Amino acid sequence: MKKISTKQLTFMALLTAIALAIHVAEAQIPAPVPIPGVKLGLANIVTVYAVFTLGAGPALMILVARILLGSLFAGQVMSLAYSLAGGLLCFVVMLLLKRILTRRQIWVASVIGAIFHNIGQILVAIVVTGTPAIVSYLPVLLLSGIAAGLFTGFAAQTFIRRMDKRDMK
Amino acid sequence: MKKTSFWVILIAAVALLSAAALAWQHFSANADKLIANVYLDGECVRSIDLNKLTEPETFTVSGPVGENVITAEPGRICVSHADCPDQVCVNMGWRSDGKMPIVCLPNRLVIEIEDSAQDTENPIDGVVG
Repeated sequence: MKKISTKQLTFMALLTAIALAIHVAEAQIPAPVPIPGVKLGLANIVTVYAVFTLGAGPALMILVARILLGSLFAGQVMSLAYSLAGGLLCFVVMLLLKRILTRRQIWVASVIGAIFHNIGQILVAIVVTGTPAIVSYLPVLLLSGIAAGLFTGFAAQTFIRRMDKRDMK
Repeated sequence: MKKTSFWVILIAAVALLSAAALAWQHFSANADKLIANVYLDGECVRSIDLNKLTEPETFTVSGPVGENVITAEPGRICVSHADCPDQVCVNMGWRSDGKMPIVCLPNRLVIEIEDSAQDTENPIDGVVG
């Protein structure tokens, strides 16, 4: 991996802080439906932004730092495994999609990433609890994940395109 | 580069499949046999026949982060109290069919309503234990 400049490191730290703030704030909102794993995933806006503008290395570091610190700060250490599995699977899928998506299709990466996030979560839950019956949550998770992914995806795409126009960084 | 319509169709297909699976879950649940199996770490620790239950029954199970208090009544079951911060399992409320299990992920607890008892060590149990 090439050396990270101080400017880029600062920018990554800033993005991590933003993602962390969103993550912790979202954790304070009571779950809208009493189904484990259903969430808005607003912090994913930052992940999408990082994947599409900074590249794989920096995006991965921001993601992992946010999930580790976020779980710690929000008092959900037990759900760390689920977040990490979902987050990493989502990250890999978005990275692959980045190669074939145009600047106007960034939202697609977020939605398909959300789908894989849900699949990752459920797989870990099945392994941890040893109860395959949990798979019956997948349809609900997928529907809510697609809705949340659309929202965060369009938010991230709008943000990225505005930043492109301003051409700053 | 794929056209945007390709992605829209792909995502819509996944959403439709999920909705169909959800509808199937909703309509296929049967209420004839209501046996609640309580799993801790994948192992069934308790089986209760909710149809044979005559009075409410409360018991406690312990997992890695604390305790869950489970209340069973004739025909339904719920987690009435939990130590965890998110309280998702408590908020899930009463279950009276096999549509979706109650899960407490931090405590690795799953309560599922099935048509047969999974607790092999103890005989099926319909009274206060």
